[in-house]
Amino acid sequence: MGEEWKEEMSVREGSFSKNVFINCPFDSRYIPLLRPLLFTVLSLEYNPRIASESFDSGEARLSRICQLIRESKFSIHDISRIKASSAGELYRLNMPFELGVDLGCRLFSGGEGREKRCLILEKERFRYQRALSDMSNSDIKSHGDDPERLVREVRNWFVEIDNKKASSPTRIWENFHEFVADFYERREEEGFAGRDLEMMPVSEYISFIKEWLAGRLG
Amino acid sequence: MAIAKKTGSAGKRVHVISREKGWAVKSEGTARAYRIYSRKDAAVKGARKLSKARDVVVHRRDGSIQKWEKSGRKK
Repeated sequence: MGEEWKEEMSVREGSFSKNVFINCPFDSRYIPLLRPLLFTVLSLEYNPRIASESFDSGEARLSRICQLIRESKFSIHDISRIKASSAGELYRLNMPFELGVDLGCRLFSGGEGREKRCLILEKERFRYQRALSDMSNSDIKSHGDDPERLVREVRNWFVEIDNKKASSPTRIWENFHEFVADFYERREEEGFAGRDLEMMPVSEYISFIKEWLAGRLG
Repeated sequence: MAIAKKTGSAGKRVHVISREKGWAVKSEGTARAYRIYSRKDAAVKGARKLSKARDVVVHRRDGSIQKWEKSGRKK
């Protein structure tokens, strides 16, 4: 598997080192965290990869996820929804499951697969240890469901792990607000109504962020 | 495609932004926030004073837009 991996990754050399697999909920309750998360990743000039991009109903979701994990040097796993929010609600297993696939990929692959790095996010610092004791003593970051804290944790992690030069967390957080205002103003001019903007497909939202950042830098 | 350039947005708005220890008032195009207020309503008042002929955009804690005041008239 090592040689196969190396060959595959050498073809994707350019993108592998910039790809970030995003493993988080994609429901409306997570949008307040997801949008600043995507903005931060893109501001740092990485490429977020999500399971729903170029979604093909004929393709098994798991194989798509495995492909994204193989193609991404970095990954961000938010396991903060491991606890159900109300009685009777089932807790979410997708995120811990995909975290396991990612860690397995890193452990059992040769070559560049061993360079893979992941950031695990939780709401509270030590809560995960009760649900996922195999990960005890791991360096997990907490965001407290606070978008600004999440921006800070993600930005600081990339700076540490990839020796990245980056704007301050505060600057990224403030830029996100300017983007949001431009986004709403511009898209409303184009005929997007409130619900269209709130429930916009993630891949479309990503393309708007890229467009905006290109305008800032260009 | 450059949205920010196309709309000519640089410097045209004042934002009220959630910060860890309060609410920041920040003009677009400036490097630093004008001031941090402990209360949001005080920050909105501060933003209005600073705005002059510019829009004031009041954000929620997650960055989404709570209120957009266009040069004195509410949107």
